[in-house]
Amino acid sequence: MAAKVSFEDLKVGDEIPARSKVVRREEVKAYADASGDQNPIHQDEDFAKMVGLPGIIAHGMFTMAHLTSTLTSWLGDPAALTAVDVQFRALVEMDETIEAGGTVSELDPGTRTAKLDVWVRLERGGVTQYPIKSSTAEVRLG
Amino acid sequence: MPLNASLIGRTYGQIDYTVERDAVNRFVDAIGEQDPIYRDPDAAKAAGYAEQVAPPTFITVIQIMTSGQVVLDQELGLDYSRVVHGEQAYRYERPLVVGDVITATPRLADIVTKRSNEFLTITSEVHDANGDLVLTTRSTLISRGTGGA
Repeated sequence: MAAKVSFEDLKVGDEIPARSKVVRREEVKAYADASGDQNPIHQDEDFAKMVGLPGIIAHGMFTMAHLTSTLTSWLGDPAALTAVDVQFRALVEMDETIEAGGTVSELDPGTRTAKLDVWVRLERGGVTQYPIKSSTAEVRLG
Repeated sequence: MPLNASLIGRTYGQIDYTVERDAVNRFVDAIGEQDPIYRDPDAAKAAGYAEQVAPPTFITVIQIMTSGQVVLDQELGLDYSRVVHGEQAYRYERPLVVGDVITATPRLADIVTKRSNEFLTITSEVHDANGDLVLTTRSTLISRGTGGA
């Protein structure tokens, strides 16, 4: 399948379409069941507080899934996503709105490959937090 | 107590896994993925895939089994209650699809101490039934407060 994005469309500095979603407790529970990661910090409010967290937090991989979904939705073809490398830097609490996005950082016409700086961010108490930052993705276009 | 750095380079047992439709459906529902190529075999086939496609982070379902062996290695001395997921990288050769029969072999690639924390890097190569590489994974787990300094 051809990607919706062509290499010639891209310029360094271009932003990919950002996508937001609200993180709901029932989704995080469903993610625990689907992924097999049943750590109680993602399900049990009392346990999470006992280990020093503000409350239940989302799995890092749940947040990463929103980022890769945002990338493949933009690309139109998952095969065009050739690499992703993320750093988890902040917590995501229940009912917070996470936003995923990225910027084209490098273009290699020889391999028709683009590198992106990618992130997931949220607003908490008037401050922008980055659950995913200093992270990259690589896409190869036809 | 610091982790047992003499285990750097240790390879753990191979995990065998079949990508089942039910598992992909549960995962796709949990992450709220709406793209039909992840939900509908016919849409995936129309897009040129052999079957319904598994999302890029679906491979996390076997990391419980691959990284799990490292985390639970008694010789390593890791206290899982101190562990947070620091970094996750994937390099893809192709997307996984329903019906893929894959193997993954985890390796404890490195342990690095930064201030009071230790960073464990676990890598694995995922191959399909033909022996072809499908993707490589690299996970960094942070063991908080065991680095001594």
